[in-house]
Amino acid sequence: MSDPKAGAKTYTYYPGCSSQASAIHLDKSLRAVAPKLGIALEEIEDWNCCGASVGHVEGGALPQTALSGRNLAKARQQGSHDVLTACAACYLNTHGVNEKIKQDVRTRARVNQALGAADLKYDGDLNVRHACEVLVNDVGLERIKGQVVNPLKGLKVAGYVGCQTVRPFAATQSGGEYDTYDQPEFLDNFAEACGAEAVAYDPKTSCCGGSVSVHSPDKTLHLIKQIVEAAVEAGADVIATPCPLCQQNVEMYQDAINKKFGTSFNLPVVFYSQLMAVAFGMDAKADAALDANMIAPVKLVELAKKAAG
Amino acid sequence: MSAAPAAASAASAGRRQYDLGFARWVYQHVEGGDKVAMCMQCGMCSGSCPIGTAMDHGPRKLFMMIRAGMKEAVLTSNTIWNCTQCYNCVVRCPRKVPVTAILQSLATVAVKEGYAPTQSTPKFSKAFWLSVARFGRTDERLVTALYYFSHGLKEGIRRALENLPIALRMIKAGRMHLGLPHRAKGAADLRAILAKAEDIERAERAGGKPS
Ligand code: SF4
Ligand code: SF4
Repeated sequence: MSDPKAGAKTYTYYPGCSSQASAIHLDKSLRAVAPKLGIALEEIEDWNCCGASVGHVEGGALPQTALSGRNLAKARQQGSHDVLTACAACYLNTHGVNEKIKQDVRTRARVNQALGAADLKYDGDLNVRHACEVLVNDVGLERIKGQVVNPLKGLKVAGYVGCQTVRPFAATQSGGEYDTYDQPEFLDNFAEACGAEAVAYDPKTSCCGGSVSVHSPDKTLHLIKQIVEAAVEAGADVIATPCPLCQQNVEMYQDAINKKFGTSFNLPVVFYSQLMAVAFGMDAKADAALDANMIAPVKLVELAKKAAG
Repeated sequence: MSAAPAAASAASAGRRQYDLGFARWVYQHVEGGDKVAMCMQCGMCSGSCPIGTAMDHGPRKLFMMIRAGMKEAVLTSNTIWNCTQCYNCVVRCPRKVPVTAILQSLATVAVKEGYAPTQSTPKFSKAFWLSVARFGRTDERLVTALYYFSHGLKEGIRRALENLPIALRMIKAGRMHLGLPHRAKGAADLRAILAKAEDIERAERAGGKPS
């Protein structure tokens, strides 16, 4: 067998906090499929939290910015590879801070002054990229298709992209201009490359309520209801998403929605990388992490079994 | 960021509702605040907002209120707390106003000036920041528990029980970390960085130039 690393491109990987708990299945499946797609991931040594969408309120703006500053300084110590992250919030913060450090002299000076307290520095000479953008621009659909040994035949997928994976950077130059803000196509393309059927699905970039859903679901359950409802109406077997918070909100609140609105939703919500792991004929648990979904993606599990059997 | 004009601080509420100094202060000290002057009141932001129905004013009106110097009303508005950061408004605004960043920055100001004691977001943020600053990482269990019990013991227990089924399913799915919190090895380094960043901001707020 040829060296699996041959032709691979190295990225410095920032997994983020959700990779160790609520979105363990994104991290696991991404690490599993990456080598097959020519992606070598080198984790940032001793990374810290990005501050998510709420850190600034208590911590303040500069401390919030300094969180990403430290991660970037650590990444730079490991080399000048592009930084890759798969989490929407991590990407929003890390990419956003990186661009600010590049463009704004005052921010660069203030962040470096703070980093100096731990003898670190960062000049803004890295690129921070979303995993999906890397899959679109560096890997390409053909290479994804080329790895499929277990096409997800008959699986109907509603591609739910959410907000921060595409907004506000997907159509910018620094964001790799990889898709649009309102009608992104990459997720449907991933699903179809895996042999599944991407159903017509309108609320692609509707909002799940983000962290407001985490602490005040009363305000946002109706938003999640629309996201699930449209997928059910489209006849989807699963919702696929790239975003950890979308995955969690849309999955864990279905019971609460059923209670509040009298619906009977029980629709699995998986990551695109879990689809890929199954389509690449990899292990249902060890690679695709299908046991980490609260609502079992039954059809996907069956497809994985068929390949293994 | 220097302190917001004292003439319209929380303490002197009622005495004065319109403080034109507030608009100038926002232009100069709130991140992206100078762009508030660019807003042409088209309403694209509020019209694109997924959670607009839960907002008292919405971004368009809030920006008008800033320009009118309505400090009290702005900093007590739930618009700054209900924003989910979906960035619909930002990518659609014809004047390139960084709506989300402005709302975020106003949220930080509102907390610093004591305007938001009963809001959920600051309570949640407090719990969140405690985990981040202590361990360098978010421990979702710890944050959730601290947040629930920030509402008092009784309410904390009620919320914990209400969410127990979800917690149990997360544990079963292997998605709730059990055991000691994950931590960054360099958590002490990180604390030094954060402390320095706070110092810099404090000095700037006091009007002095940080060393
Ligand atoms: S979309 Fe922009 S210009 Fe229009 S009201 Fe909102 S902030 Fe103002
Ligand atoms: S970013 Fe905030 S204010 Fe703007 S549309 Fe989304 S929820 Fe509304």
